[in-house]
Amino acid sequence: MPTGGFKQEPGIFEVEDAQVGATTLPAEWNRQLADRTLTDYDAVNLLEIAALDGAESIDWCYGCGKCVPVCPVDVVGEYGPRKIHRKLQTGIDLLEDPDLWLCTTCGNCLRVCPKQVDMIQIMPAAREAALTQGKEVPAELQGVFESTFKYGNALGQSPRKRAAWTKKAGVPVRELPKSPGPVDVLLYVEDYWSYHPRGHTAAQAFARILTRLDVDWAILGHEERTIGDSQRLAGEKGLFELLADQVSDTLAKYEFARIVTPDPHAFNALKNLYPGMGHSYEVLHYTQLLAPLMDGLEFTGSVDAKVTLHDPCYLGRHNGEYDAPRTILQAIPGVELVEMGRCRENGYCCGGGGGGMWLDGHTVNHTRERLSERRVREAAESGAEILAVCCPYEVSRFEDGAKSTGLDGVLAVRDLAELVDEALGGPEAMVQGD
Amino acid sequence: MPDPAVLVIGGGPAGIEAARNVADLGVRAIVVEQRERLGGTPVHEQYAALTPHFDDAEQAMADMEAALRARELADVRTSSRVTALSGDAGAFRATVEGEQGSEDVEVSAVILATGFTHFDPGRERQIYNYYQYPDVLALQDLEAMLKRGEVLVPSTGQPPKRICWIQCVGSRDRNIGNEYCSKVCCGIASKQAIEVRKHVPESRASIFYIDMRMYGYWEHQIYWPAQEQHKVQYVKGIVTEILEQQGHLLIRGEDTTMGRPVETPMDMVVLSVGMEPSQGTRDMAQLAGVEQNKYGFVDVARPPLDTVGTSREGVFACGAALGPADLEDTISSAGAAAVKAVAMIRRGTLSGVS
Repeated sequence: MPTGGFKQEPGIFEVEDAQVGATTLPAEWNRQLADRTLTDYDAVNLLEIAALDGAESIDWCYGCGKCVPVCPVDVVGEYGPRKIHRKLQTGIDLLEDPDLWLCTTCGNCLRVCPKQVDMIQIMPAAREAALTQGKEVPAELQGVFESTFKYGNALGQSPRKRAAWTKKAGVPVRELPKSPGPVDVLLYVEDYWSYHPRGHTAAQAFARILTRLDVDWAILGHEERTIGDSQRLAGEKGLFELLADQVSDTLAKYEFARIVTPDPHAFNALKNLYPGMGHSYEVLHYTQLLAPLMDGLEFTGSVDAKVTLHDPCYLGRHNGEYDAPRTILQAIPGVELVEMGRCRENGYCCGGGGGGMWLDGHTVNHTRERLSERRVREAAESGAEILAVCCPYEVSRFEDGAKSTGLDGVLAVRDLAELVDEALGGPEAMVQGD
Repeated sequence: MPDPAVLVIGGGPAGIEAARNVADLGVRAIVVEQRERLGGTPVHEQYAALTPHFDDAEQAMADMEAALRARELADVRTSSRVTALSGDAGAFRATVEGEQGSEDVEVSAVILATGFTHFDPGRERQIYNYYQYPDVLALQDLEAMLKRGEVLVPSTGQPPKRICWIQCVGSRDRNIGNEYCSKVCCGIASKQAIEVRKHVPESRASIFYIDMRMYGYWEHQIYWPAQEQHKVQYVKGIVTEILEQQGHLLIRGEDTTMGRPVETPMDMVVLSVGMEPSQGTRDMAQLAGVEQNKYGFVDVARPPLDTVGTSREGVFACGAALGPADLEDTISSAGAAAVKAVAMIRRGTLSGVS
């Protein structure tokens, strides 16, 4: 692998029948790593997947292998799109295989695939089929599906607490249900800024920045529901469509010019999928709103550090935005931007996309280390002291990764909004009536 | 001095095309074909459909022949052989022996269009047992089946449930002495796999290969449709041996991408045999005194910018007499040979090169 580390021997080694004490353990033959003979090329499972709506391209693979080295899961395990095709060709039932849940839909394989084998459509289609056919779904993911259905958010929190983060923002935050009327920017806060403690600080920082910029903005408060794009990619297309109906109904009640969201997954769905369902909005990622406005901020402090940026898959590869977050970073006094080996189009996935956010327990059983751990090690190798992020999934993922890799204290993980806010003086400066 | 003429030896696609072009350029073309009818290997070996567009082979050859025979300047002699060639460029004397006896003809130039023969799978060093197992076929055997409009396992008379192709049989092999790639077999196998999947939709088709060599447009004309629309399974790794087990063929090899041995039952196995110079190419090259490469194909004297000139001035070659060639190559080189032969006559020089 190009950056750090090396591929280790696979941790699993299975034989046809393993004898453990008095027990004979049959192997899952698809995880077979010994020289077991292939006795058939029954591609019936391959054809079944290829027959799924959106998954037609699975049997286009001609085995060039370009996808495997850029697959973030293969870097830490033994999983790659080409391998999926070959396993299907040799008879594996993907719908019952652990591999089904490993893809993060990061899109790096599709970027390099000469045959346009589109795992970003194949995997969600296969997962949807697994759900429909009642196959076993990892319990942690199933729990998130249920929470999302019940509460409208992945964390299973009360909708009434959606706006709880605003109390400590240090600036007034307008909630449209309480104070309706036209507004320029509707901030679609999404789940992790709304509910996760490490998301609150970023949301509060961004609220202060918007206020300093005199942006006319508001939130939906308790009426906001998750867009659920990651739930869709994890196989729950039906849930996504249900949410889309609810979200579009809510949005129809209010008058706003633009939607701004910190969540690249919500951004992706609002921008690319909602128009196809009859709902078109002007949608910006929060970095896209902020980047052109950076000149209007009066910095009183600085962030004197080497900072590297993690490109979110759904902002970068899926939507082509690499410059906005960098523009923001470079406008912050004191920041020295350093790049990781894998960045921009080749950015390494944090492991949270496509449902990966809620599959850590499953993924850890099939990889040598977490994708987030690999990424924070890459960030530290770049010489950065701060890993800057602009996706709400990532602060907690990377902070956990920094702790488990011993980089806690060496590498800080900060949302872009937090860095901008810090250089502006933070909440104290707002209190002083800035 | 009689009107100038060009002797075209061989009446397959290359010879027909060369002769038609010679005639169209205003020069008499004498075509000598040893078989009773024109059309060459596609007709003689009963090809079903041509690669890559699935044209009916017999019809396509019949159309070519009709176009040739419509030329007044075409002098077609089937069941005939050239038994002697003397003289020099511009003034050759050839002896043509046919059913009506022997005749000497005076020609200005000679075009060798004597083609290829399929590699004999009995000579391969693997253990494919082509002559032992009735259900192990070569490409041309399956072509003949397809031409009859049926795909049946010879030993059972039933449609095959599992069929596979083994690539590079007799090609790319130092042991056999054929180091070259035969160039067409990847395309032919894929074309046949498409046809078999259409004939027998419930069949499973696999192609075992070392490298898929789909030149230029064949990639998207044959290979991709075979895989994407007709669900042909491509497996990297060549089958080493074919055994018989419980009334089935059992192929054994290595699946190289999985790094695992393969032992898979098959109802029918097709060997993708390569191309070798035909006996006619060997004999006529010798008779004409042109240099041949170590494989017996006619050597081009000034490659790569002259693709049809041989070591003997006034003698040109085209098609698969020069080495493995698909039909497009063959038709192109036939045209080039015709132009160069006629140009030599027109210029009145002895040089076939510009």
